[in-house]
Amino acid sequence: MGDDFTLGRIVLNLLIATKWTIILSLIAFVVGGIVGFLVMMMRISPIKPVQFLSWLYVEFFQGTPLLLQLFLAFFGTSVVFGINLSPLAAATLALTVFTSSFLADIWRSAIEVLPKGQWEAASVLGLNYFQQLRFVILPQAVKLAIAPTVGFLVQVIKGTSLASVIGFTELSRAAAQINNVTLQPLLVFSIAGVIYFLLCYPLSLWSQRIEQRLT
Amino acid sequence: MLQKLVRKKEFRSAIALFFASLFFTVGVSACSGPSVKSTKVDASSAAVQRSNAVDPAITLKEVIQRGEVKIAVPDDFPPFGSIDAEMNVRGYDIDVAGLVAKGIGVKLQLVPVIGNYRIPFLQTKRVDMVISSLGRNKDREKIISFSIPYAPFYSGIYGGADLKAADYAGLSGHTVGVTQGALEDLELTKNLTEGKIEGVTVKRFANNSLTASALVSRQVELIATGNVVANKLIRNNPDNRIQQKFVMKNSPCHVGLRQGDVQLLEKVNSILTNARQSGELDKLSKKWFGEPLGDLPMA
Repeated sequence: MGDDFTLGRIVLNLLIATKWTIILSLIAFVVGGIVGFLVMMMRISPIKPVQFLSWLYVEFFQGTPLLLQLFLAFFGTSVVFGINLSPLAAATLALTVFTSSFLADIWRSAIEVLPKGQWEAASVLGLNYFQQLRFVILPQAVKLAIAPTVGFLVQVIKGTSLASVIGFTELSRAAAQINNVTLQPLLVFSIAGVIYFLLCYPLSLWSQRIEQRLT
Repeated sequence: MLQKLVRKKEFRSAIALFFASLFFTVGVSACSGPSVKSTKVDASSAAVQRSNAVDPAITLKEVIQRGEVKIAVPDDFPPFGSIDAEMNVRGYDIDVAGLVAKGIGVKLQLVPVIGNYRIPFLQTKRVDMVISSLGRNKDREKIISFSIPYAPFYSGIYGGADLKAADYAGLSGHTVGVTQGALEDLELTKNLTEGKIEGVTVKRFANNSLTASALVSRQVELIATGNVVANKLIRNNPDNRIQQKFVMKNSPCHVGLRQGDVQLLEKVNSILTNARQSGELDKLSKKWFGEPLGDLPMA
């Protein structure tokens, strides 16, 4: 049984399972990024109730573990609302709220650190609130936000391994399954670790390049 | 300098906040004991029971209408369920699932589920039944219903062929290895204390592999372990002539179904009874466990 698992077979199976890691990470980045941007806009809004709602959202989803959020999305919705979300829908929901809450805070802090003078100068030029953001504030904030954003995105890639509990055979789960049959944990998990590294390192390199280009 | 720091109001409030959150976290984690968990499970099972109490045939009807039955199986517990080189799941439980699907007359959809979540997947109707080396105990009986046994799973004492030990008293004067904290450990300790058996040296090991190696390397004369581990050990070490001395506790595997699914349960039971009588189950047992089905209890 364990003899069919040549080294090449193991690497191939792990690479095939990586597809789910990549898909889940991309979903988290894109959907989480969009929602995170909206939440960030609410957070810096001058309207107090809007700001409060956004603060509540960020504090709650930052303060709960991703695993718990996955359970709530997958099992919790079935019990409370009687709706059975598919594993993909549940993972999307959980990863989105998780990623958006952290990204909203990262981006908010990048904006708030800019001197008030930038806002005032922009309004003196006759720009409205959204134009101020678009032409003056956000371009400057982007530069500050790159490093922490990419740092967090690397965490998200690793966090997708939790989705295995709701049925995704992604990289970590596939490695555990293969190890159960071949009983060679050092080999199997080392290969999985290398693959995770190959997913995360290019992100960091790319972020360094962007930072250099913006300065 | 320290006095100046302590006098600062912000420093004091920071310290107060720190201790408040510390006590809060400790208090919450201390208070959330097993009672909290079982209440949550009961609530969800009550909700499921309400919906099933309406129609005892509901799941069977749905399955036949769908033309497909969803069965939770293991993918990380050979020989009950594991993956092959093409990452397809195969094993004893998978073959039994195939028998059940054929018996109902529908297609089979296998849903590999991690051990901890077999019952939640069943309760939230993501699978119609669980065939995943599920053991029966009082806590689980409150939430789900069980079919008749379909697979042997027992813990026993194993050792070399030259050693004689027909019961717990026969262990006297020998060394016995066991996996710490496992069911076999609890069972062995309980029986030795209650039977007041002296002269038995029990050596505890961190996991099943270590316990098994201890027997092969003759660190211990006997081991108390589950039949699955033991059979693998016997197959891999034919020279040691390991054999079973006696059975400690029988905890066969049952198919798990939602409470109230009366007709589906009856159907599954009849399929399993036929499989036993026709010798189909015996064939599977020889294929995956390397031994005949033996005396499987009737309920």
